Amino acid sequence: MKKFLAMILAGVMALSLAACGPKDAPEGSASSNPPAGSTPVADDDFKVGAIYITSQSDVAGYTFQHHTGITTAMKNLGLDVDKQLLVVDNVKDDDDTAIANAIDTLAGQGADIIFGISFGYIDAMADKAEEYPEIIFSHGTGFKANDTNFNNYFGRIYQARYLTGVAAGLKSLEMGNNYIGYVAAWNTEYAETCSGINAFTLGAQSANPDAVVHVNKISTWGDENLERQAAQALVDTYNVGVIAQHCDSAQPQLVAAENNIFGCGYNSDMTEQAPNNHLTAAIWHWDVYYQTAIQAAMDCAGDASKFVEKMGGNAYYAGLAENFVDASPLNTIVAAPNTEEIMDAVRELIVSGDWDVFSGVKLSYKVGDDGKVEIIKTDADLKDNQGNVIVAAGEGSVEDGVIKGSMNYNVEGVDAPQA
Amino acid sequence: MKRQEPLFRIVKRDTARPGQQILAYVAAVAIALVIGALMLLSLGVDPLDFYKRIITLGIPDSKFPARIVENFIKLFVPLLLTSLALALAFKMRFWNIGGEGQFIMGAILASVAALKLGGTLPKPLMILVMALCGMVGGGLYGVFVAALKVRFNTNETLLTLMLNYVALYLLRFFGETAGEWNFFLDPASPRPKFIKFPENARMITFDLGGFQLNLSLIIAIALCVLIFVYLKYTKQGYEVAVVGDSPNTARYAGMKVSRIVVRTIFMSAALIGLAGAFSVSSAGILSASVTNNVGWTGIVVAWLAKLNTVGIVVSSLLITVLQFGCQNASTTFASIDANFADLIQGIILFAVLAADFFTRFQVVRTKSTKEVSK
Repeated sequence: MKKFLAMILAGVMALSLAACGPKDAPEGSASSNPPAGSTPVADDDFKVGAIYITSQSDVAGYTFQHHTGITTAMKNLGLDVDKQLLVVDNVKDDDDTAIANAIDTLAGQGADIIFGISFGYIDAMADKAEEYPEIIFSHGTGFKANDTNFNNYFGRIYQARYLTGVAAGLKSLEMGNNYIGYVAAWNTEYAETCSGINAFTLGAQSANPDAVVHVNKISTWGDENLERQAAQALVDTYNVGVIAQHCDSAQPQLVAAENNIFGCGYNSDMTEQAPNNHLTAAIWHWDVYYQTAIQAAMDCAGDASKFVEKMGGNAYYAGLAENFVDASPLNTIVAAPNTEEIMDAVRELIVSGDWDVFSGVKLSYKVGDDGKVEIIKTDADLKDNQGNVIVAAGEGSVEDGVIKGSMNYNVEGVDAPQA
Repeated sequence: MKRQEPLFRIVKRDTARPGQQILAYVAAVAIALVIGALMLLSLGVDPLDFYKRIITLGIPDSKFPARIVENFIKLFVPLLLTSLALALAFKMRFWNIGGEGQFIMGAILASVAALKLGGTLPKPLMILVMALCGMVGGGLYGVFVAALKVRFNTNETLLTLMLNYVALYLLRFFGETAGEWNFFLDPASPRPKFIKFPENARMITFDLGGFQLNLSLIIAIALCVLIFVYLKYTKQGYEVAVVGDSPNTARYAGMKVSRIVVRTIFMSAALIGLAGAFSVSSAGILSASVTNNVGWTGIVVAWLAKLNTVGIVVSSLLITVLQFGCQNASTTFASIDANFADLIQGIILFAVLAADFFTRFQVVRTKSTKEVSK
């Protein structure tokens, strides 16, 4: 027995010696090389850090979409994901200690830019951006920033939601059921969530003026059980015919499939999960931002304080026009007739910049015999569901600041229990 | 009638030489590392690189080596104090499984002090008050069980275990329930979130040329020395050992067993509460994950060290290296997530505990012992 152990020991020692030997040599030479070159941060040395709310091994949902975005962007920029991406995953977004630890870990391991993907990381990231001025911080969905090394990024997902609302409205019209369900993480607590609910509702009403959107709030960004229960409750209570969602998993779409009704997903194209029921999802092309940001960060050449300047501002906000958000390819087998044509026409209108969702102009559609879609614009007050006028008839869109930060109401046609 | 006997029996070894034991530990770690290496290889990760990053904590390549050490200390001190405290209880054969709960109660009470007295006291006094509150919070939570045990002979394993969850859910309640009364939360946040402590409630650090030495480390080391002396050279320490070996002997010798139990458990739980206070003060904020599982890990540390104070320092250091190193190493490989890092830690710990078992016990085939007995 002793002999056996001794042999294993010897083997391990040999291995560990080997570990020290050849590994150290190239690293030593690598670290001595860059000073000779002109750029302080060579692309090979550039490290991207990321903090995820669930696992980087996910196969769908919010974290998955961001991880895919970051890895795609890195590959496009010629960076090696295996060597240059640092990830701390499963970091709860209501635990500032855990978030601070994750940032410290990434900083310690050499991250040059740190992306935090969840809203709740906001305060910890703002603090740490001050503590580590030599690192770039970039916070998704948030609103805090500074003038040097800390920005935030988000997109006009409400534009994509409007498109999915059009698909849902047309479907409800076809079904003869005006009730549409919406499983929401939060509602008026955050502009992000209520602007999504509002845009979706306006889209649905443009196709079906009688559509009512029933919101069921789960008070967490993601919990598969709650998402499932909330969706089923919408079916049981209101007999909804379409279920939309603003939550992390595909559970609401699975519930739609079980009840033989229809759905609009979020984050990723959920047609895969519910092939006979899912219409279209509001999706992000995160790689569009990540590529811009990583490029800008590398252009800073080691001076993190230049990041905001290189990005042209400390709040990145792009939409359909930049292809940052979109509605996923329509599942034409289940969608109502002409849905694709109408969505394309609306998309074109939004991309052109002539019209936006939260304005005093309402859309409706007329499809000619030749299948050509005509968009009819009607001036009408944009009202909240308490009857207050938000935008007077004929006026232009509300400001971005409202959509990103101060919106805290639901528009007409939204039925949400008061918090 | 022939009695049915199991094929194998577990028998205590007569002699366990220390050299043999260390060899077994090393072999166990080696086996665990080989298993881990195979798994890492299957994910396309170079195991040697991975292990090197665990052992070095990623310090050599880092731009912020001092910060890595500072964060390591934040993880190490609570585990050291908790293991030390648990060993104190275990020595008396009082199975304190309630480290988590006592830690949380210490953290909560220290936070109350920080948030209520925040701006009013000078920093050193504030830290002292927080430490005392932590000790009282943890200590009373532990002594409650000790009192029930000596009075009604209740089972302390069950009670301390269950009280962990009471404390944990109390903490979550404070963290998730918005309300005017709830001063733990940040009123500026629309969703419930713990509020940061005022500046003077944050742990004192000494600047050593860019490295911030955390005061709690110095106190923890001093407490190790104190406990070592206490157990080895004082009358009370001797009493703990006697009660642990045989309460009846202690009683015949005229010791007041109940008092010794209550006193010792108060010390043990108070130390854990102190660890909780240090932990929140170092972080500057309360958190639902404040314990970092030290109440559980501390049990492993205490047993690996055979309840020996010096051994506890060594094994808590090694386990913190394993935890902290695994986390850092897994960060640097895109294909390794946090769960895998936990898995590697688990394999290594499991192997070491198995080695510990087999050096103290041996598996004997029943047949051969029968022949001997004939």
